Amino acid sequence: MKLEMRQKLAREPFAEKIRKVGQLIWLAKTFRRRPAKPQPAAK
Amino acid sequence: MAINEPSANLPLADVLRAANRLVAAKLIEDWALGGALAAIYYVEPFTTYDADIFFIPADKGLTAGIPAIYTHLQSQGWQVEREHLLVRGFPVQFLAAHGLTEEAVREAEHIDYEGVPAKVFRAEHIVAIAASVGRAKDKARIEQMLQQSGLDKTQLEKILQRHKLKLPTI
Repeated sequence: MKLEMRQKLAREPFAEKIRKVGQLIWLAKTFRRRPAKPQPAAK
Repeated sequence: MAINEPSANLPLADVLRAANRLVAAKLIEDWALGGALAAIYYVEPFTTYDADIFFIPADKGLTAGIPAIYTHLQSQGWQVEREHLLVRGFPVQFLAAHGLTEEAVREAEHIDYEGVPAKVFRAEHIVAIAASVGRAKDKARIEQMLQQSGLDKTQLEKILQRHKLKLPTI
């Protein structure tokens, strides 16, 4: 992400940033990376 | 909503309200929000999995009054999971402040969060604390804070000198 975009996000009100942190946590929990499916053994 | 009911929203107002109640109950002398959530006050939002409340103990004994704090919060419906207390499923750590962190609590910025009076570490203290800890994520936090927070570099230098700290090379 561009530095100016990140600085714009940094200037948002604290309550709005906390709302976004809540969304990030929800996304991380919902789309948690699962272990890869075991591959069939090579013959 | 019951205090132990999980929520998609981060229950920061509940955390801050609880910390104020601990002062009213004379279980702690003062407190401030530190850690990642304090950094987010100054920089872009990022994922974090807990809230760190640094407190100045009212009880100057070895336990810093932590057992009484846990008992008080559990009586308010908070749950305990290892070193964390959980409010609506969100982990909160109560950490006794000393030295640099005690100074950070005493000099913290007063804020109002959704109608709740609170204190949050100043940007200069967040950077100094990260320099004192020195993990990879602390170096990343220092870089982010220097880029985005608009901190007072003279003030930061004074804190670093007072606590014999240096910024890591980034």
